[in-house]
This record gives sequence, C-alpha cells and structure tokens, in this order.
Amino acid sequence: MRVLVGTDLQSIDEISSSIDRFGARFTARIFTDDEVACCGGLTSRAAPGLAARFAAKEAVMKLLKPVDDAPGWRSIELCRQPGGACTVELHGQAATRAAELGLDFVDVSMTHGAGIGMATVVGISTAPTAEGMN
Amino acid sequence: MDETIREVLAEHGKLPVDIATVSDDADLYQSGLTSHASVNVMLALEDAFDVEFPDAMLRKSTFESIQSIRDALTTLGVSAPTG
Repeated sequence: MRVLVGTDLQSIDEISSSIDRFGARFTARIFTDDEVACCGGLTSRAAPGLAARFAAKEAVMKLLKPVDDAPGWRSIELCRQPGGACTVELHGQAATRAAELGLDFVDVSMTHGAGIGMATVVGISTAPTAEGMN
Repeated sequence: MDETIREVLAEHGKLPVDIATVSDDADLYQSGLTSHASVNVMLALEDAFDVEFPDAMLRKSTFESIQSIRDALTTLGVSAPTG
C-alpha cells in the first residue's frame, strides 16, 4: 500500500476579488455549479468556502503529480455530503490520472479562517508499482 | 500584442518581480505566477483581446510564458501587429 498526500492554501481575499472583478466567468472556469451553490452562490459570502475548494483542487493536483499537463479544475469536484463533510469526485483527466496511479481512495479535509482556505488530501493506492509513485 | 500581454500580467499576475525584467521565454510560474493568478490573467486576456479560451487551452502550459500566451492568442485568431 502507498499513501499520497497533497496540501495547499488560498487567500480568501484573492477569491473574493476575482468574483468581484470577473463574476461568474471566474467561478465557471474553476468550480462546478454545485460547488458554487453549496458555498452560498455568487456572493462574497461564498469566498471562504470557494477558497477552501480551490486549495483542495490544487492539493489534489499535487497528489496526482500529473506527468504532462494538470487536469482541469472542474475535473476535480468537492461534493458536500449530508452532515457537511466533503468528498472528492474525480472526472475526466483527473480520473484517468488517478487510475494510472492505482488510487483506490482519496479523502479531503478543508478549513478556512485567518484569511485563508486550506485543504489536505490523502490518497491510498494498493497497486504494487503504480506509474509516477516511485 | 506583447505590450498588452505584459500589461495584463502586470495588473493581474501578482508577480513578485517587475514584468519588464521577465523575458518572453521565461517560466512565469518560476517567476511567481500562482494558479489562482493565472486564472485572473486568462480572464483579463479574454477581455483585452475579445477572445475566449476554450477548455482545451485551460492548461498550465498555455500560461507558462509570454511566448506561450502569444502563441495561444495567435491560435485564437489574435493578430500580431506588423511592420
């Protein structure tokens, strides 16, 4: 078994500024509709949750260690579950890369405060010799 | 085109260095461009050149240098000034 870890942080103010400057054009390039909705919609109060999710997407990219280009942001989706915890759903390029790595499981923990959103992701692979994991 | 690209990078790239000191082929990520700032740069380039980057071009490599940004904009039909 191998364990992979990724972590990242993101300024809440920077996310808020991007929403103010570019509106839905910004969020639509990064987040799914469900991600925006569960953070409160396209308002400034969504910025802390979206900052944490941006950090989570970057953390997943670090975990996946893409060989060529990084997967698109929307191919990594944070899905809120009943009770408030979030899970990671991988689509497209991100799912393909996870399969290459033999990832059986990816979990995420997010938080926000003190002006930043932060996330740590852990992936577990039981593949004996997965590409890019040496 | 290059002057506008540099203006966009100066305003939205949040680079810790003067964009005037960055060569066309320098790695912008090595120069301090963050993933978040690269999104702002992309959206500002769309406004400046009246284009839209398709999903297929939303890759780290598209924004890794002034040269690569110029190439991407050319692909989207933006013409470099001649003469």
